[in-house]
Amino acid sequence: MCPAINTGYQVTIAPGAYVCEERLQLVGEISIGSKTIIHPGASIIAEAGPIFIGDGNLIEEQCVIANRFPSGIDKDQMNQVVMIIGNNNVFEVGSLCEALKVGDNNILECKAQVGRSVTLTSGCVIGSMCSLTTNETLPENTVIFGSDHQRRTMPDRPAFQTHQLDFLARILPTSHYVLKHGTKSHTPAST
Amino acid sequence: MELAEIFYKKSDFIETTSGNKVCRRSIMCGSQNIVLQGKTIVMADCIVRGDLAAVKIGKNCVIGEKCVIRPPFKKFAKGVAFFPMQIGDHVFIEDECVINAATIGSYVHIGKNSVIGRRCIIMDCSYILPNTVIPPETVIPSYTVYGGSPSAFVEDFPETAKELMMDVTQSFYQNFRPIA
Repeated sequence: MCPAINTGYQVTIAPGAYVCEERLQLVGEISIGSKTIIHPGASIIAEAGPIFIGDGNLIEEQCVIANRFPSGIDKDQMNQVVMIIGNNNVFEVGSLCEALKVGDNNILECKAQVGRSVTLTSGCVIGSMCSLTTNETLPENTVIFGSDHQRRTMPDRPAFQTHQLDFLARILPTSHYVLKHGTKSHTPAST
Repeated sequence: MELAEIFYKKSDFIETTSGNKVCRRSIMCGSQNIVLQGKTIVMADCIVRGDLAAVKIGKNCVIGEKCVIRPPFKKFAKGVAFFPMQIGDHVFIEDECVINAATIGSYVHIGKNSVIGRRCIIMDCSYILPNTVIPPETVIPSYTVYGGSPSAFVEDFPETAKELMMDVTQSFYQNFRPIA
């Protein structure tokens, strides 16, 4: 018997993380580390398996972090695949991350798109509107920029966003409904 | 050449006393910090982050669907803060733009799906082509057309820019009619 597609969610939020509830779309099993800040309007879709998000990440508006099966595959035949996102990453407005493994300190700029077969190590910067759908592991401190998707390597990893994270941790709870830490699950009523 | 009439369901939009039309589906965070000067239209699914810093939008502006208007972030000597953001009058922002700019002047036209970087300053009467990426801290001069990723000067914008933008935004507002 085929299992129904589960559109409920189960999210575990560590203390110190702030997840804005407005227009938030959550699907599947999600774990969010401490000091991570999720702005309103984000989508975290763990369709093909759980997503583990590390500490100190900054996920801005209209971001989509998706663990989806590749299209055209029989979903019942596939096992669950875990998607792991490391610490201190920044997902700017409108970015799309489908990469299964994201390390630490990466920056996905506005409207950047990273496909499923890419692995981001540490310190990578994917520039605005750049789309990365190759099957590769990006070396550390790589920068991809411009409409030609040029590449270069930085001497150092990008700076931490601790100042911004601290500031947001102070002001976001005052003006938004924020999900409390702990585990929260929601299963839609089956029709 | 007349703009086409665009109809909207009356229940979808909130109309204020000063003539602003804000879609109910848009997210106005920190609405006490957001100032719309009058006759401005904010379409569906926009996100305006007034909770981070004050956002001041001039009159007769049009903000397209799914735009994100977000004050930029600045590191001062004594700490960090989000910088207040100002958008001038008669600005037409098309759909799906991401605006992180510090200041946008008046009579500006921002094309579809553009990304305006942090702390940019866009001077009056300029045109940003669709799908442009403007890097952080750029200053876009008046009467120019910028495009590309990273953005570069394309050509001059004619001196009639001001009248053009006034005409476009005012007729867009007049043609934006409610149906019950």
